[in-house]
Amino acid sequence: MEDKNYIIDLKNVSKIFDGVTVVDNFNLYVKKGEFITFLGPSGCGKSTTLRMIAGFEFPSKGEILLKGKDITNAPPNKRPINMVFQRYALFPHLDVYDNIAFGLRLKKIPIELLDEEGKPVLKVNKEKVKQLKADIRHTKWNKALTQEEKETKINELNSKLEEVLANPEPAYKYRKLSNQEIDKKVARALKIVDLEALEDRDISTLSGGQQQRVAIARAIVNEPEILLLDEPLGALDLKMRKDMQLELKEMHEKLGITFIYVTHDQEEALTMSDTIVVMKDGVIQQIGTPKSIYDEPKNAFVADFIGESNIFNATMIDKLKVRFLNTNFDCLDDYPINEKVDVVVRPEDVIITEPNKGQLNGIIQNRIFKGVNYEYTIIINKNELMIKDTHEYALNKEVGLIIDKDAIHIMKKDFVTNIYTDAYISKNNKVMIDESPFECDLTQLLAGSSIDEDGYLVSKDKKKKYDLADADVVAEIDINDVEIVDDINADEVEAVGEIVDLVYKGDHYQLIVRTDSEEDFVCVTPYTYNLNDKVGIKVNKDKIRLRLKKDINEYEA
Amino acid sequence: MKLRFQRKELCIPYFVFLILFVIIPIFLIIYYAFTDTNGNFTFDALVNFFSSTNKLNVLLVSLLFGLVNTILCLVIGYPIAYLLSNKKYNSNYIIVMLFVMPMWINFVLRTGATRDVLSWIGISGGEHPYITTMIGMVYNYLPFVILPLYSTMLKLDKSQIEAAIDLGCNRVQVFTKSIFPQSIPGVISAAMMVFMPTMSSYVIPDVLAEGKIVLFGNSIYLSYSNYQWGDGSFMALIMLFIVVICMLATRNFGDKDEGKASTW
Repeated sequence: MEDKNYIIDLKNVSKIFDGVTVVDNFNLYVKKGEFITFLGPSGCGKSTTLRMIAGFEFPSKGEILLKGKDITNAPPNKRPINMVFQRYALFPHLDVYDNIAFGLRLKKIPIELLDEEGKPVLKVNKEKVKQLKADIRHTKWNKALTQEEKETKINELNSKLEEVLANPEPAYKYRKLSNQEIDKKVARALKIVDLEALEDRDISTLSGGQQQRVAIARAIVNEPEILLLDEPLGALDLKMRKDMQLELKEMHEKLGITFIYVTHDQEEALTMSDTIVVMKDGVIQQIGTPKSIYDEPKNAFVADFIGESNIFNATMIDKLKVRFLNTNFDCLDDYPINEKVDVVVRPEDVIITEPNKGQLNGIIQNRIFKGVNYEYTIIINKNELMIKDTHEYALNKEVGLIIDKDAIHIMKKDFVTNIYTDAYISKNNKVMIDESPFECDLTQLLAGSSIDEDGYLVSKDKKKKYDLADADVVAEIDINDVEIVDDINADEVEAVGEIVDLVYKGDHYQLIVRTDSEEDFVCVTPYTYNLNDKVGIKVNKDKIRLRLKKDINEYEA
Repeated sequence: MKLRFQRKELCIPYFVFLILFVIIPIFLIIYYAFTDTNGNFTFDALVNFFSSTNKLNVLLVSLLFGLVNTILCLVIGYPIAYLLSNKKYNSNYIIVMLFVMPMWINFVLRTGATRDVLSWIGISGGEHPYITTMIGMVYNYLPFVILPLYSTMLKLDKSQIEAAIDLGCNRVQVFTKSIFPQSIPGVISAAMMVFMPTMSSYVIPDVLAEGKIVLFGNSIYLSYSNYQWGDGSFMALIMLFIVVICMLATRNFGDKDEGKASTW
């Protein structure tokens, strides 16, 4: 069997719903007692993954092993795993005690069957037979597998089935827990969640926080190997959420069982987890400790999603030297010379000094007092840099800036997508990428929405209107979707730039077009261009993917 | 001068309505039940009723009919309501409307049509009075079961079903331990809407059983049409008494949570 230290092991797990891949080739092992968090924006597949571990969904491909045992197609009631649901899902017809005792009353304790001489009675394990038959059935109906894959899998399962049928095992009979045992366990669970006095209360009389605790107690009372938590704190207010974060962490230490937690809140993930799995579009972006993910994000998405960050397009100009913001910086990461990279600078890592004493100068455009520190927006040649600093500086003042080499995190640029993290929506519903307006389709921000004649985004049921002017968005354009136009004065041109880099890739060129304000568009073309050519850029409006930085409800008109 | 109402004055019309059409009729029934044709106080009707095996028999048959009809309607209506509450099968409420639509046609007309259809397929009321009456009853009262159950089940949380499975329930236990207990308020109000009207119905057995089945409602009607005001009123009092008992028996269920909302 596999390493017993891994409590759960997901191998090449994929989930396909109606032809859409929701989880793509997910590989993860979790150690016993770990607190692991799946983090990502909504729709990234984190909940689906959790539901596959719980058994509410079955993977289209791949295997899930629990302590080395295949549980891929086992139903939820056959797994030693319990879940805390997003909106608690408590039973309203039962009181607190009965809610918590619900699982215990169903539980059956195995007792070994002995014959008269005290030897174990041997019988064919019917449970295993049933499970294997279910596995075979699942495989037969699985649309994601080819005929050949199906046959080998079914043959494999059939031989396992024969083996189980041929080898009787010690048999068990089952008994239910006695009322005293249940009493004792419920009392202990209530103590862990701090609700001792409320066991006779009706669910509807409890506050949100108390219901939350009952939901946790109801799950942990069954002593699961793994506790799954699906955004359990989402419905609580901020203060309550912070308290519960710490309490959950404490509970995790007390219970010593594995927690798998799903959230879209990066702060929650950083506070509680031993390990964070960052996901996007069903694909794992990075797995690591909170510190390693914060300090060494693997790509621009992770950097942008975890904490606040400044992300710049940069070029390696020499060994351990990188150029961005029109300035050369020393750095610690070794990348090939002339490689295009993303640079992440955390706002708290930039030092403000007097003008001309730093590596570059900028003008303070904006200042917000945040309690512990000030948040400044500094303008450097049309680029924005966010800085957090405890000192107070005057607005519109020129300052010098120092970015230490420790503070520069360099990430390999993934040349699949152009990501613009500081784009925004203009008054006439275009997306502004570096001051150039691009036609875009705003209805993608809300499923089923439409644009009315006044330019407002209207929800599907026509009840809500959103005014998205000046909304900050992250815009993404696949490199294949950026079109190059030779005539820079043509009407269709949306931005103009200069070709600064060009790589021949066998049958096409990959170019980087840099605009006057130093925004880069990476694109592919079969035609030959020269360095320093001025070209126009246009993008089909359906090809620009947008993601709001804030919740859409903040823009409700 | 402007007319100004206080809020409590607005309820006067309803109060008048209650007095005219509920309170006064009840007192009239009580009055007729305990007086003879000359207006003298008497227990004749009470003695008549309890000494007549015929009438007691009618009461028993009516109770049985009410019970069987309630059970049949629940058994048929419950799965329908459960399926309809799933958005997948009922995306724009059209199917619910289809099930409820017969309620919009006068039930006397419907019952006549039911009789014709049944005799056309060979089940005539003269030969099979119990079967035809039962079919007519179920057909008439099914919508009254589906609607309250449907509105209760709409409120069921799908994640509660998942939670029950997660905590160890198999499919049967999910139903017996989670879905059914939560739908009890709907079941109670559905049963109430079927049981009492079935007992007192007289058009349905009259039309479908061709006079071979006499339920409590027929019995009351017959008494009145034979000018036996005392007997008719006393039987009406018995009906009222059963209504009160049913309400008292089910009140506890309604009060427990907001299940009352489903008593539409």
